[in-house]
Order: sequence, then C-alpha cells, then structure tokens
Amino acid sequence: MSILESGREGYARRILQRLPDSAALIVFLVAESIFFSIKSPYFLAWDNWLNILTAIAVIGIVAAPGTLLMTAGQFDLSVGSTTAFTSVVMANLALSHSLGLSAVVAVSAGLGVGIINGFLVTVVGVNALITTLGTLAAFRGLSNVVAKGQTVGVEGFSGLGTDRPFANIPVPVLVLVGVLILVWALMRYTVYGRAMYAIGSNPAAARLVGVRLRRFIFVGFVLSAGACALSGLTLTSQLGVGSGLFGVGMELSVITAIVLGGASLSGGRGSIVGTAVGLMIIGTLNNGLTLTGVDPFWQDVSRGALLIGAVSFDRLRSRLGA
Amino acid sequence: MTDLFRLRARGIRKSFGGVEVLRGVDLDATGGTVLALLGENGAGKSTLVKILAGDYEAEAGSIEIAGERLHSLDPVAARRKGIRMIFQELAAAPELTVAENVMLGQWPSRRGVISWRTLRASAGRILDDLGVALPLDARVSSLRIAERQVIEIARALLSDARCLILDEPTAALSHQEVERLFAFIHRLRDRGVAIVYITHRLEEVARVADTVHVLRDGASVLEGPVADYVRAELVRAMVGKAVGDVQRPAPLDRCPSTELMSFEAAACGSAFMDLDLKVGDGEVVGLYGKIGSGTAEVAEAAFGVRKLTSGCLGVGIDRVRLGNPVQAIRASVGFLPADRQRDGAFMIRSVAENLCAPSWSRLARARTLISARIEAVAYGRWHDVLGVRSRNDPKQSIGTLSGGNQQKVLLGRWLESGSRLLILVEPTRGVDVGARAEIYKSIRQLAAEGVGVLVVTSDHEEVVQVADRAVVMTRGSISAHLVGDQVTVQRLSMAAGE
Repeated sequence: MSILESGREGYARRILQRLPDSAALIVFLVAESIFFSIKSPYFLAWDNWLNILTAIAVIGIVAAPGTLLMTAGQFDLSVGSTTAFTSVVMANLALSHSLGLSAVVAVSAGLGVGIINGFLVTVVGVNALITTLGTLAAFRGLSNVVAKGQTVGVEGFSGLGTDRPFANIPVPVLVLVGVLILVWALMRYTVYGRAMYAIGSNPAAARLVGVRLRRFIFVGFVLSAGACALSGLTLTSQLGVGSGLFGVGMELSVITAIVLGGASLSGGRGSIVGTAVGLMIIGTLNNGLTLTGVDPFWQDVSRGALLIGAVSFDRLRSRLGA
Repeated sequence: MTDLFRLRARGIRKSFGGVEVLRGVDLDATGGTVLALLGENGAGKSTLVKILAGDYEAEAGSIEIAGERLHSLDPVAARRKGIRMIFQELAAAPELTVAENVMLGQWPSRRGVISWRTLRASAGRILDDLGVALPLDARVSSLRIAERQVIEIARALLSDARCLILDEPTAALSHQEVERLFAFIHRLRDRGVAIVYITHRLEEVARVADTVHVLRDGASVLEGPVADYVRAELVRAMVGKAVGDVQRPAPLDRCPSTELMSFEAAACGSAFMDLDLKVGDGEVVGLYGKIGSGTAEVAEAAFGVRKLTSGCLGVGIDRVRLGNPVQAIRASVGFLPADRQRDGAFMIRSVAENLCAPSWSRLARARTLISARIEAVAYGRWHDVLGVRSRNDPKQSIGTLSGGNQQKVLLGRWLESGSRLLILVEPTRGVDVGARAEIYKSIRQLAAEGVGVLVVTSDHEEVVQVADRAVVMTRGSISAHLVGDQVTVQRLSMAAGE
C-alpha cells in the first residue's frame, strides 16, 4: 500500500469518526432520494435539485443563526413574523421611496424585532419560548396592519430573488450557502461560537468562566432577526410582493431542520452541517411529495411527523447509549 | 425477629462495555451488624450494591439470602427479601407531608378513599418507634436533608426491611446530624437489621461499623472486624499504596510580599459581617467553616459573584473592585466552585474546551478566532502536569472522566488562564483519595510558584493538609486565626464550635 493510499484511508476513517451523529441522517436523505427517483423521472434532474435548494433557501437562511441560538439553549419562534414584517415594510416604503432606502429601513425593522426579543429575554428575563411566541403573534398582526391585509406589489426588485448570476444557480441559493458558511465559521472558529455552546451546556458555569451571557444571547437574537430580514427581502424579491402572510408556520420548518440536524433542545449541542442535512431532508421530502402528486396537505403531516420522529430517535439513541 | 438475616454473595462478576467492574467479589451481610463497604470512586461499590438490590444483573456468581440460593435477583425479588436501598439523591415526594411520605405507597384507604387519620397515626407510631420527632404535617421540602433521610429509612422499615443499604449518607450532613444518624443506625442494628454502609470517609468507619470490607478495582482486598485494622491499613487497602496520615505542609520559606486579596470590614447582608481577610502571594489560606457559616458567601464575594453590602474588597495586584466574574478573571483571579456538576463543568463538551473556557479570548487570534487545534495545544500543556488519568484525547467529553479527573481539568482552567489568586471551594469534594493527594500537590506547587490560594472548605483534614494558616468562621464572623502548628483538626473543630 502506498503512503498516499494509507493517508487516504486514515482521512476517510477520521471523517467516519466525525460523522456518527449525522450518519443516520445522511442515510435517510439518500434513501429518500432513491425512493423519489424511482417514483418520478424528474426527481434526479439538476434543475430539480436547484428547485429543492431554492425552496429551502428562505428557511435555511433563518435556520443557520437558529442553530446558533439553540446551542445556547435558546430559540426564536418569531422568525416567520419577522420575515413578513420585513417584507411589508419593504413593499410599503418602496411605493414612495427608493429601493435602497426601503431595504435599509426594512432590515432595520426586522432587526428591531430581534432587539425586542433579546431585550425581553436577557434584560427582563422572560423565557425565550414565551417572548418569541408573543412577538410571533404581535408582529404577524402588525405586518397585516402595515399592509392593510393586502399584498403590496414591488417593482424592479426581482434581482435578489430570481437572478442566476453563476452556473444558473439562483441568488437565494448562493445567499443560503453564504449564510451557512458564515455561521458555520462563527460557531466553529470564534470565541463567540464557543461561548454559545458553553452557555447552552451549563449557564451557571459559563458565567463563572467569564462568559458575558446576556450580551451573547442578545446578539444571538439580533442575528436571528437579521437572517429573517434577509429572508423577508428574498421572498419579496422572488414573488414581487410584500405580504403579511409570508412565513406562516416557518418556525416549524426551521426548528425541525435544526433538531433533525442533531441540536439538543436543552442546548450545548448542534451543528451547521447537521442543520444543512436536515434542511435537505425537508426540502427533498416536500419536493418529492409534490412531484409524485401527493396532496400538499400531506406535506404538513410529513413535516410534523419528521419533527417528532427526529426527537424520538434522538431520545431512543441517548437512552441506549446510557 | 426470629431468624437472623444472612446475605451471602459469592464470586460476583459484572462488566460494562467490556470493562470489568467487579471481578469475583464475595460479600456477607448479617442481621445485627453494620458492614462498612469502603473503596475509592470507581472501585465497584455502587455496582455491587445495585446488584444486591436487583438493579443490575450479575454476569456470574451467586446470591444466597436466608439460606435460599437465588439465581437471578430483580428489584421485586430483592424487595420481597427485605433489601432496601437509601439513595444519595433522595426520591421522596418533596411537596407532600412527612406523614404522607413515610407511608408512601401504602396509604391506608377504604374503597379508594384515603383515611387521613389512620395515615397520620401509623406514620406517627413509626417515627416514635424510631425515636425521631418530626412534624407530621410539615412539607418534606421544608426539611433538612438529614431529616429526609430518616423519612426514607422509616419508609423502608415500614415495609419490613431486613437489610438496609446506605450509599454515602453523610455527604450533606452537619456534624451533629452525622452523630444522630449514627445513633439511629445503631438502634436499627440492635433490632436485627443488617446494614451495609457505603463510604469513602475513613473516620466514619470506626465509629459506625462492626465489620469492614474494602474493594479496589473490582476485587475484595480486605475484610474483617473493624477493630482489627488501623486507619493506615485501610487507606493502603483502598489506594493500593501507603499514604501517610494527615501531614502538615512544610513551613513557608519566605513571607508573602504582595497582598492579592483583602477584605476590610466587609459585610454581605446576613451572610457574613465585619470580615477582615487577606491572602498574599505564595501562601495557602484555609477558610474553614461548616455549611451555613458564611464561608461560601465569602468565596463568591471574592470572585465578584456576590456584592458586598458594606466594607471593601480589593483583589489582584491592582486592587480592583469587583462587580462580576469577568472583572475578577481580568484581575487574574480563578474560582473553583463547590458543586462541580452544577457550576463547574460543561459536561457534554470536550476536556479541551472545558480547560480553555476562561482563556478563550487570550488564546484566540485577534481575541476572536479560535480553533479546536489551539485548544488541544493548550490542553496538552496541562494534561500531564495535572496528572489527568485519561487517554489524553482533547476531544473527549469531560463527563466521561471520573470526579477527580474532572476536578483536575477544572483546576487546569485557572492554570491556563494564568491566575495569580485562586479561590478553591471544596476542591476535593467527591474526589477519591489518590486524586485528592494529587490536587493537594498541585495546590502546594502553585503556591511555591507565587500564586495565592484561598481554600474554602468544610473538611478540617483538608485545611490541616494543605493550608499554611487557617481562618475559621462561625455564623458569619471569624472565630479564630490559626497559624503553623496551631492548625490541627482539634483546634479547627473547637473554633468552629463543634
């Protein structure tokens, strides 16, 4: 055996050692893909993969900082409303102002939701579930108030959503990949990312090693809202309208993807690679069910089942491991 | 009781994941005797008693109870034979009353309606019988741990226990409570109950037990009447090598030249008041006091976790006033909390992350960018220095290490961060004898390098063994300063009002 080969083998083994948590997921994803490729001749086409990626782009952009929050033991249920709020602010302002100014204000509005969430959780001390459940409802309502219950058309803003600048890949997919890589690097290679894992695994201990808990969690909520603002603009651009109905039920998809990816609801565990695979599983399932002509209502059923299935699997595995 | 309870376990073997935890252990428990089961953490004590209680199944060996040879013992069968285990974490229903807890599982009822009068009467009779006075209608959550233990024991006896297994019952008890528990155990013994008492506190053995059985690495290494052995023999049997009796550290060869911490007329609510306490470079100061004496609060104040209500505190070379742990760490102070699981370790994260946590910013490039490799290098610096017994894998999660090794990693945290002042609260709680000696060695080594150390503890032997001088606290104030040869177990106990 040559040195090169033995080195390769070692590398492969190292990858295998690193993947035990995601391995089951990847097997599931492959099985799912094989199943649908037998059922539908269109499934394996490159264009269809682009469809899948485009379909998960919006939730994926939001799931990336969502993963970061969950490793710190926090979560953000208000993502769908923040997305909608950004889109209606954008569309309404664009009626009378320049696109650039409207986008800046819309993003600030989105970030504002994150600041409210962060303030309530870290300064007032309301638990994240209650806080973001509250802002989920409040900003859904506010979005509809701003848009007066209508969809508001936006002219000349289709670039972000529909351009295909590179290898025929739509911009949202490129944005998704960019956001995933950014958050991956943030979690893996920065003090901030390390600290978020520490906070999630033991907040009391984190405080005693000098981690600024409140500040870091606050930033986490603002990052999450920033991603929602980005997804709001993307949706507005893709569909050419702003709507208070964007992102209804988005929190379910986002949390399903994160939990599928191996993140622990109690914090301390989670990875962007896992979340990316989780996103692909959801995207593939929705796409495959559509292609094979299953009633779209079944997609909700499948997503709910997937969420419960993923958590049950995790519980069973940890019980067997103990 | 007519016949004497006899339990004979022979050749018990058990392994977990390919590691043999018990390698053919014999154990005898007899009614009317207290058997002390001794051993370091990981020696196999807990596994052995869980087999006796039917929680685990032995892979080989036999168990004979009252002359009947049993091939398999499940929890139900063990209960039927009268074996009861009192766990360290008490499983009572804390929001129910004393009476309800004593009778838990056998509340008297008629057609599903509970007879509260009968319940109270029966519970009262049992507690009287045991010679304990507890308010029957008090909620168990309002009771002290010692009192909850008595309730657990009462419940076991109510269901006709013949053999009681107590797993380190004194871990959370005060001096007087320990005395009371021992008296209680002796009363049960005299009524013919067989008692298996698990501990790693040697000083308890001679006081409470009639026979002793030492386990080491899953095998029996010593057994017989307690009176036949002296302390040193038991220690040697437990650790496998001779360990000297409690020894004082060598006197300092130079006086501290810099004050690293000083409380002046400091007070913090009702926790402590009028406190003057200084720690200089290169000295180890023992702050000794029982639980509730205010020592824990002093430690927290010294690290900025708790704010003073009056007086002043300066730490570090620059005499910083503290508002939070971040400032304390910046002033080169390190803090080892008493409860490792609750406040110390990130159990599911790697040893390297655990060790580097306070130093992340310093280790990182531009105070921001860090990688697992940088952490692994830092961990490599301390793994051998601290004597961590593991396979030197920086990615191993700290939760897989034994208590002593976890504690070494947490101590290493502050070595890596370059602390000049260390506040160590109960540094060897839940740590076995061998690791304890190594931690003391590390502490002395640090002092020799000029670090000031404040050891806050409720273990007087710890003070004697590691501290250059001692400060004793009772009820929030300092009751004694002891220096050099004055630091003895007797004087510490006296000063603490025991």
